[in-house]
Amino acid sequence: MKLIGVDVGGTFTDVMYGDTESRDLAIHKVPTTPDDPSRGVIQGLCEICERFDVNRGAIDHVLHGTTIATNAVLEYKGAKTGMVTTEGYRDILHIGRHQRPQHYSIMQEVPWQDRPLVQRRHRKVVPERLSPPDGTVLKPLDEDAVREAARELREAGVEAIAVCFLFAYINPAHEQRAAEIIREEYPDCFVTTSSTVSPQFREFERFTTAAMNAFIGPKVRVYVEELERALADNGFTADLHVMGSNGGVATGAMVSERPILTLLSGPAAGVLGGAMSGERSDRKRLITFDIGGTSADIGLVVDGQFAEATARDTWIGGYPVMAPMIDIHTIGAGGGSIAHLDAGQAFRVGPHSAGAVPGPAAYGRGGELPTVTDANVVLGRLQPGNFLGGEMRLDAGAAHKVMAEFGKQMGMTVEAAADGVLTIINANMANAIRSRTVQKGHDPREFSLVAFGGAGPLHGVEMARDLGIPEVIIPPYPGITSAAGLLTTDLKYDAIRTEFQTSGNVDGDRLSRDFDAMRAGLAALFKTDGLDEGTVEYQRSGDLRYVGQGYELRVPVADGAVDETSLADIFKAFEAIHTTEYGHVFADNPIEIVNIRITGIGQMPKVASPTLPQGGSLQDARLDEARCYFRLDGELQAAATPLYERDKLPIDEVFEGPAIVLQKDTTTVIPPGARATAQAGGNLLIETGA
Amino acid sequence: MNQQAGSTPTVDHVTASVIQGALENIAIEMGYKLMRMSYSSIIRESEDFGAGLVDVQGRGLAESAQSTPLQSGPIPGYVQGMQKILDQRGDGLRPGDVIMHNDAYSGASHGPDVGFIVPVFYDGELIAFSATTAHHLDIGALTPGSCGIVDAIDAYAEGLQFKAIRVYDQGEKVEPVWHILRDNIRVSDLVVGDMEAQIAAARIGAERLVELIDRYGKAIFQSACESVMQHSERLMRQAIAALPDGTYAATTYIDGYLDDPEPSRKELPLCVAITVTGDEMVVDLTGTAPQIPDKPINMPLQGTVDIAIWLTVRSVLLDTAVHGHIPVNDGLVRPIKIAAPEGCLANPVFPAPTIARFCPGNQLADTVMKALAQVAPSQVSAGIGNLRVIAFSGLQNSEHWVHMEIFEGSYGGRDGKDGMDAVDTLYANTRNNPIEDIESHLPLRVDRYELREDVCGAGQWRGGLGSVREFVYLDDGGASVEGEGHKFAPWGFQGGGEGGTAGLHLDRANTDSGKSGELPSKVPHTPVQAGDRFVCVGPAGGGYGDPMLRDPEMVLADVTDGLISINTAANDYGVVITDELTIDDEATARQRG
Repeated sequence: MKLIGVDVGGTFTDVMYGDTESRDLAIHKVPTTPDDPSRGVIQGLCEICERFDVNRGAIDHVLHGTTIATNAVLEYKGAKTGMVTTEGYRDILHIGRHQRPQHYSIMQEVPWQDRPLVQRRHRKVVPERLSPPDGTVLKPLDEDAVREAARELREAGVEAIAVCFLFAYINPAHEQRAAEIIREEYPDCFVTTSSTVSPQFREFERFTTAAMNAFIGPKVRVYVEELERALADNGFTADLHVMGSNGGVATGAMVSERPILTLLSGPAAGVLGGAMSGERSDRKRLITFDIGGTSADIGLVVDGQFAEATARDTWIGGYPVMAPMIDIHTIGAGGGSIAHLDAGQAFRVGPHSAGAVPGPAAYGRGGELPTVTDANVVLGRLQPGNFLGGEMRLDAGAAHKVMAEFGKQMGMTVEAAADGVLTIINANMANAIRSRTVQKGHDPREFSLVAFGGAGPLHGVEMARDLGIPEVIIPPYPGITSAAGLLTTDLKYDAIRTEFQTSGNVDGDRLSRDFDAMRAGLAALFKTDGLDEGTVEYQRSGDLRYVGQGYELRVPVADGAVDETSLADIFKAFEAIHTTEYGHVFADNPIEIVNIRITGIGQMPKVASPTLPQGGSLQDARLDEARCYFRLDGELQAAATPLYERDKLPIDEVFEGPAIVLQKDTTTVIPPGARATAQAGGNLLIETGA
Repeated sequence: MNQQAGSTPTVDHVTASVIQGALENIAIEMGYKLMRMSYSSIIRESEDFGAGLVDVQGRGLAESAQSTPLQSGPIPGYVQGMQKILDQRGDGLRPGDVIMHNDAYSGASHGPDVGFIVPVFYDGELIAFSATTAHHLDIGALTPGSCGIVDAIDAYAEGLQFKAIRVYDQGEKVEPVWHILRDNIRVSDLVVGDMEAQIAAARIGAERLVELIDRYGKAIFQSACESVMQHSERLMRQAIAALPDGTYAATTYIDGYLDDPEPSRKELPLCVAITVTGDEMVVDLTGTAPQIPDKPINMPLQGTVDIAIWLTVRSVLLDTAVHGHIPVNDGLVRPIKIAAPEGCLANPVFPAPTIARFCPGNQLADTVMKALAQVAPSQVSAGIGNLRVIAFSGLQNSEHWVHMEIFEGSYGGRDGKDGMDAVDTLYANTRNNPIEDIESHLPLRVDRYELREDVCGAGQWRGGLGSVREFVYLDDGGASVEGEGHKFAPWGFQGGGEGGTAGLHLDRANTDSGKSGELPSKVPHTPVQAGDRFVCVGPAGGGYGDPMLRDPEMVLADVTDGLISINTAANDYGVVITDELTIDDEATARQRG
């Protein structure tokens, strides 16, 4: 099979081609075309086929990471959206949880009030009401009122409508009927229901998720349609699959209906790429660490399973989103992060970034503020003549000048100031990782750090040492890990149902029935996508908590009928997870099964790891030597540091830091005390000495 | 450990910054765990809890970002109060001890906010404290729940008082204390579970702190703490120094007990005079009404009054939306001195009751903002709408259920922005409970939750809208209410109109069980029957600036959104809007003159 992964980033569109049989791999980069990203995508695909002499028609699958949905939310540029909701609850979307985003602020913005996904004038109420625990109809749906609302919204020029009724997660009948009526009245409209998008309790979060799905729906639908057409027009017969936030891909048709699934498309592909690299070194516990110019994304992978964000911790653009997502923690720390003394004279780095323009002083584009990149230049870790494979020359003088001025304010030498910048940014990133690991009961010392993105390999080892992480993995192409990740995905769909059943009083038959129904629903989706039932793997789980608690923990549920024995196993597993996560267990307290979930995974073909040729020697790989600064025994010292060319490193030969490894898309720093080995699978494996 | 003595190493800029980040990270982890482990909705949904680290002198080092300001802010006071009591007893702390504390006359915020304090030892020396606070569902007061105890006649009627009580002694659980808790508190499974969660979270903070000190050594750690506090102090001093010297005074009023025949218990003034001198300020509360000896709306000076003042000063002068994140620690409050005459509402004398001090305290915060408005007019909002709390309760199969719901207020208009609609205000920042959660677990139905239309402070930047929420009982039970803002509307500013007062209505399903009608802002426990309905109408914030200057398009938008009526547009804003929802420019020009 021949696959192409294409990931659209802010600056570049990365393309990777892989052949599952011949094991050929090729990479390519083209500029992103922000006005219509599909142009860059098509250009990238055509160029890679041409350069590597691949027949366009022979490509089987195109796998795509896109920011189209994310940007629509972040830039608040979506469809004119309407809502039909239960009478009496017109403003759930506006009042939210009645909490301000910031404690100590008068002038703050409240995103859901200042940037409403649905303006109040387009929020129509209709008589209907359901009640728990079984979705009993308290008030029947007033179908005429729905029809009237649909007509009014159509006349108002609304392009998308979210149907959001209380307790629809238990009984979706009213939402389904209302959607049907709206489609009759307004066939061109993008219609979505809260029970399809996210059938779980918490009305503000569910309604917001549905409203966001509607808000981005028309845009994503048009994008997918146009991209599919453009592929066909350019001679590609491959299926288009789009990367979802849950770490799997979905078909174009699925994404057109539920664009909400793609909000973390790009970052999720990055985590996948990191996971794939870890697997190539046969490591099972991974922290993925993707640092770019302005931000760093952190993910966690244990035994091939991605940590999943809990529904209550997932926010996009200030709005809560209840859709399955890989737990990716983003912080404002990257190569462009600006170092400064704040008004109280404290040394800070970030969260403001110099961005691409003017960028760090070393870019020579007029940047006058010291950044992390400038610190790396001052300390000799970034080589002015070898940045981006020599395509862009860095202005070391400018970097020195801004850093020296900055250091002077604190009475520090230019090198000490630069070292301080790196120490603080590394500590910030280490804190972020701590809150994803230590806070959740994982010991980072048992993990390997996969460092990628333009700046990950520069910082990976020193940051890993902060956390006691013993090993850092640098993937073969750290700058395009997301595109690489796309070539390792599976089709992945999720279903969820809220149960609210309590230990001692659980209706196992109902759980079994619900699991079966959910599985049948997913099977139908896979069938539509043309997959054989036999090739789909299902994973079941539940969201459990002690009765009264407000946060659930995800507990795996074995296959088969739910009976006394399996329930006992489930509750035992819950207690074990509670102990790991919180260090504490409340024995004998009743446990509530809040939601049950099932994930279907349809196998897609994947590229195998490349096998790098043996041979060569360190001497052949050695390009030059540079004076770089490192901390030795607590003192900042200059050390003669060899520069190696990544492609020429001998396989399985250990070399000691200090050393710097250069390649086109990144620079890897191996500080004194660390040892590195280039592996046949393509990774550079570094023992940190921590 | 005196920094000025120069005997300790001075930490460098870089290490100070790294340790500051690490301290915050620890506090955040404590809050994260407490919120997730706790049982009662008041903690885990409403987030009415605090977590923080305090140094050996009782000075705050860091607080959890997730907690509510009225919980994390008082933590240093809890520690100071506990230390004072232990010193008086000649009692010392040992590794493994855990202390429970809720004495409103020794630093605690009020009785239901119970603190659990873990002393942190390093090399055998007491070096810091890790503490959590949380609002508990019940604390053994005269009626169920820990809100709406508006008729407690003294501190003893408010429930259990814990004055530095050891609940773990060198790692051993002090069982008799836990027996007392279980026997004297309603819904004790939930409450005791929450307390255990608090202890678990505080212990994690203590462990992490020791790990941090291990990395840097005690001397560097302590030097960094000094540096971190000095940094925040510098920021606050700079912000105060930017204000012209002078005295800025304001008064607002609280309802008190509107249905009480005794005049001294209602319509009570809260007076604030802020004197700025250089980079310091004194906040003087002289003129505030005398304490009410037998009603619990008195405000503990340490734990409520101080928090209300600090919160408002820093939200206005060091607004995080403008200044970015600022580390919260002792340094921030050093330049602010508070003076309150003994025996006034803001500095009561034991055993005056204090359990229902929540809403008066928030009104005091609003009064501070009103005083600051004179000197920082573009950094404040007009008057805020205050809050109410209802404790819903009942018995099901001889077991108590208690549910406390905080009813939101709203903000006044701001310079360049309308007020925030239907949110918690100033020192409170809790969350409501999802309707789908309430109805799945309690015999209650929420029949309506919407914005309150056509009532808001008119202004160039209008006040935020209030909410309307209706609760119906599906079973017999009881309710008690504590709130404010039924009598006095939020103040308008710079020519803006007053906001709207709040209201509370009880519809009895069966008239035999009592009268339907409007209720005052405080209602002691009252029985209710299945079918009875509370209609809770929220206050609307004050307007900012002359409403005649409001952009007519914004007035039209409000009308189109159904937030205000065409009549209000014409009367309050002078904007004439047609039935087709267009602006009649000529008529508007005439109307606006």
